[in-house]
Amino acid sequence: MAVIEIEGLAKAYRVYQKKEGLAAAIGGLFRRQYRMVEAVRGIDLCVDQGEFVAFLGPNGAGKTTTLKLLSGVISPTSGTARVMGFVPWRRENAYRRRFALVMGQKNQLWWDLPANESFRLHQQIYRIDRQQFDRTRDELTGMLGVGNLLRQPVRELSLGERMKMELIAALLHSPDVLFLDEPTIGLDVVAQYNIQNFLKHYQQSRKITVLLTSHYMKDILALCHRVVIIALGRIIYDGSLAGIVDQFGGHKVISLQMLNGHVPDQLDRYGELLSSEPPHIKLRVDRGVVPDVLANVLANHSVVDVSVEDPPMEEIIAAMFRRIKDEG
Amino acid sequence: MSLYLRVFLTFARNSLVRDMTFRVNFLIDTFSSVAWVFMNIAFYTLVFQYTPSIGANTGWEKYPFFLFLATGLLINSLVQAFFMTNADEFSELVRTGGLDFALLKPIDTQFLISFTRVDWSALGNLVIGLALMLYALVQLHYAPGPLQIVLFLFYLACGVLIYYSLMIALAATTVWLGRNQTLLDFWFYITNFSRYPMEIYVGRWGTPLRHFFTFLIPVLVVVNVPARILARPFVLQAQSDWLLPVFGAIATIGSLAASRWVFQRALASYRSASS
Repeated sequence: MAVIEIEGLAKAYRVYQKKEGLAAAIGGLFRRQYRMVEAVRGIDLCVDQGEFVAFLGPNGAGKTTTLKLLSGVISPTSGTARVMGFVPWRRENAYRRRFALVMGQKNQLWWDLPANESFRLHQQIYRIDRQQFDRTRDELTGMLGVGNLLRQPVRELSLGERMKMELIAALLHSPDVLFLDEPTIGLDVVAQYNIQNFLKHYQQSRKITVLLTSHYMKDILALCHRVVIIALGRIIYDGSLAGIVDQFGGHKVISLQMLNGHVPDQLDRYGELLSSEPPHIKLRVDRGVVPDVLANVLANHSVVDVSVEDPPMEEIIAAMFRRIKDEG
Repeated sequence: MSLYLRVFLTFARNSLVRDMTFRVNFLIDTFSSVAWVFMNIAFYTLVFQYTPSIGANTGWEKYPFFLFLATGLLINSLVQAFFMTNADEFSELVRTGGLDFALLKPIDTQFLISFTRVDWSALGNLVIGLALMLYALVQLHYAPGPLQIVLFLFYLACGVLIYYSLMIALAATTVWLGRNQTLLDFWFYITNFSRYPMEIYVGRWGTPLRHFFTFLIPVLVVVNVPARILARPFVLQAQSDWLLPVFGAIATIGSLAASRWVFQRALASYRSASS
């Protein structure tokens, strides 16, 4: 069953273009130049109940704008969207009680007060039954290991701890749909791992629908089966992670371990020599010629060990973004 | 208890807890605003050493005027305590994109924005205002009747609501202007006109000014109507005195409706800020 249905959704902004210098600033008082920025250019998307979908794209691709449209924070220029049957930008309370948005770069907790005070406020705003509230809060703080920090002012929490509190605040009303905008930004690897783990278990146990944007490939690898790639305001890929490699990963990496540490000359005739630290060698080879290269290498050289791998996902995505940018 | 009242009480409680965390700051805030009020009272006491009343035959002698001053103090302290910080914060939320979170909550956004913080330190002036009012009434040997007290409280609330409407509408313009840091300055300039009895606005410049700040931006109604309910019994009643309270009630409803309209339009135009 489709929970999120988007058709031809577009959002354009008029942005003031400010020239340098005082004279230009004075001129700007009387006549201003604007530029239209098309943040989202007519996207179509359908997300089923219980899916965990990643939104990938370079900065300025339109990911956050799409999440803000789906949360009803902003209205579109054209197109339609329905989340659980609601039109988000009508901002109906019945809809607002059923979803949550977490933004890694913004915080909604009272800065000078312990997080628990903000949680209580959420309890009232979302009309959560007191016993239910206590149970959910204790469960969430237990899962994230922050139960002992509930009475500490938010400004005295570490970034990772604060992010966990933000997540708890967003989940207290048990939303059916969760929008996550870079929830692990700026966190160290341990905090990132903990939050990934939590999100994975939470989503699996509650079967909620999640849309996640992140620049960290590890988040996406750990959490999402389906990836939507958005660039220049358009969806350019919608499918599995493995599909990205098939579609955009044009080469593989062959790692060789040579006998007696001997590295033969002219290995670069097989492909691009990525590294040579005898006895280990890494070659980047076009996917289509991998079997031929392997056959040749093994026939002509003394090899102890060999492995063939896809290049790191970050590399594939970065190459893809570069290509999209170049093609404009 | 209704949802809105419960949420407001939690806001008030959280604000108090927060203020108490920074208690020195709280004490300095209270002290400076109370000191400002005492300087004002001292100034007007000085003025009345030179003149028996503000304007000839207006009825605004020293103690009736002190009732006027006290009414203004009550209204100002209530507006400062409940709305000033929030309106200021609203401008900042629009500029930084923090308004996003308010728009997500299943509760009226204008309510949420208007009541998030209570500036408890501003309530010090409420006590001073009440004390000044009592002092003036004692000096005048006058005890207002129940109807007068009810009407006074009603128009006091009207005054607070007119000020609030103006303030929230001004703050909402940040959505279109991008930045509105002069909000408090502008607020001070406009409300400055309401600090004096409307009788002083006569003559070539005064009359148009009075009409402008009564009918277009009704700030003259804010203090004048409730203050007259207590202070005017000491002067001759004019027939037109009845018209002003009626207009005051209409102006309150009109101001609230206009500010609601501006606020809703602003929310519809809100474009958030970069992530």
